[in-house]
Amino acid sequence: MAGVVVRGRFPRRRIVQAVVTNLVRHLFGGAARSWARNLGSTAPALGSMTLLLLMSGLVGLTGFALHNLQQVETGQASLLHVYLRDDATDPDVIMLSQRLQNDARVAGLTYVNKAQALERAQRIPGLPQLADASESNPFPASLDVQVKTIDDMAAIDALVRDDVAVDPVYPTSYDKGAYQRIQAVLLGTAVAGFAFLGLLGFIAVTVTANSIKAAIHARRDEITIMQLVGAPRWMVRGPFVVEGAITGAAAGLVAGLITFGLTFAAITAAAGAFMRFAPGVTVTVAALAAAIVLLVGLGLGSGSSLISLRRHMET
Amino acid sequence: MRPIVEFAGVTRIYGSRVALDDVHLELLPGELTFLVGPSGAGKTTLLKLINRELRPTSGRLWVAGLAAHTLKASRVAELRRRVGVVFQDYKLLPRLTALENVAFGLQAGDLRVSDEEARDRSQDALDAVGLGDRGDAFPHQLSGGQQQRVAVARAVVAQPPLLIADEPTGNLDQETAWEMMDLFEDIAAWGTSVLVATHNVAIVTRLQRRVLTLVHGRLVRDQPAGRTGRMAWLASS
Repeated sequence: MAGVVVRGRFPRRRIVQAVVTNLVRHLFGGAARSWARNLGSTAPALGSMTLLLLMSGLVGLTGFALHNLQQVETGQASLLHVYLRDDATDPDVIMLSQRLQNDARVAGLTYVNKAQALERAQRIPGLPQLADASESNPFPASLDVQVKTIDDMAAIDALVRDDVAVDPVYPTSYDKGAYQRIQAVLLGTAVAGFAFLGLLGFIAVTVTANSIKAAIHARRDEITIMQLVGAPRWMVRGPFVVEGAITGAAAGLVAGLITFGLTFAAITAAAGAFMRFAPGVTVTVAALAAAIVLLVGLGLGSGSSLISLRRHMET
Repeated sequence: MRPIVEFAGVTRIYGSRVALDDVHLELLPGELTFLVGPSGAGKTTLLKLINRELRPTSGRLWVAGLAAHTLKASRVAELRRRVGVVFQDYKLLPRLTALENVAFGLQAGDLRVSDEEARDRSQDALDAVGLGDRGDAFPHQLSGGQQQRVAVARAVVAQPPLLIADEPTGNLDQETAWEMMDLFEDIAAWGTSVLVATHNVAIVTRLQRRVLTLVHGRLVRDQPAGRTGRMAWLASS
């Protein structure tokens, strides 16, 4: 037992091997066994976390598509069509063009004549009929001005609106509220998405933390003994963190696969109909989203365990 | 000889109740000491302070060279590896065999111990407590006395310099209790300091070891080994 009785018979220590073996067995083996044993009490946590992660994946992909859409819209919103009078003279148009080109707020300028304007209109749904109904070409020539910053749109509009070459009835395409409306819709969508995910996250973390609490109570004696024989704190807590991580990873794996599967199916279906599913959402992006969902699950499970340990495990 | 445990004016207060009041004492290596007193006298509090399950409210306390009164939470495990603990209710893990229970205590406290070493040392510890042939038995297959022996083997397998026991004979018959005391005497003889909190008057009076008497949280008597003191209060507690 103590001292001389046993010391002589101790085998030579192979410390590194022993430490690694004990670590793996204790942290991962113990956690896996406990997880499997407590699967019944873990099931609600697994379900709620899977749902959360699935929603996160889908909302994340939607957010990504909306972000791309916003980029496109921002690009279009910073393009100002300056409509020219049908009777504008070439010198007047050239003078206006030069004024715009010399303006530091302008990134680029393109002249579109009436024929090009008609051709462009015929690609827009509904407008070909309008064009056909008129005997003459109703679409004006224009200067398409790419403004560097969308905030300068109003100033450029004010600069050109009273020019002699510009149509006095419908001088530009500038719509003061259009961009703000897009921004408001996107912001509202983002806030609603985050609020929804926040609520689901709270539920998932609470349920997972409770399942870890149940695991702590089930292994109370083991924990007490470990603490009393001088097991380091990380060694006592580690298996529970791993157990939470297993729950999170399992939920993340299922949610990631569903996210990828649904997105892949939608992309394939859209491609069959010669359509684009969502701006920027490709198979690679879907796979990346699935991987992120898995990692978030891992982090969420471990984090929930840590919260539960701080609350329910005495030191 | 340098003391294994040293209390210097240690007080522990729970809310408004004083559980331990200005206790001064020293425990030396190889010393078997009994801690006696009526229920609620502060025996368990004193043991918990030694094992750093509690912190002193005031005073200084050293355990196996570590200042327990200022010890950070991150170093508590280090202190506990120097203190073996035996409980009245044994606290054995029911799904592990006797040998595995002892080995668990060893490996949980020290990751460097390989399976082979843990098995050998645990078997030695079981041999020493007289249960060398029951290593494969599960706790429910052992008597109370045998379970307590396994608990003692687990407490000493890592060879701590100090062993504390809280009512270790509380669930045992008199004969088994005597066997347990023989075991504690052997452990002390090998150089380990042993502190046993007990209500067992017969054992305390007959063994004539050092006896610390706590009453209402105060150390009212420190009776050296080899003397028989008055234990009248024990009979009424």
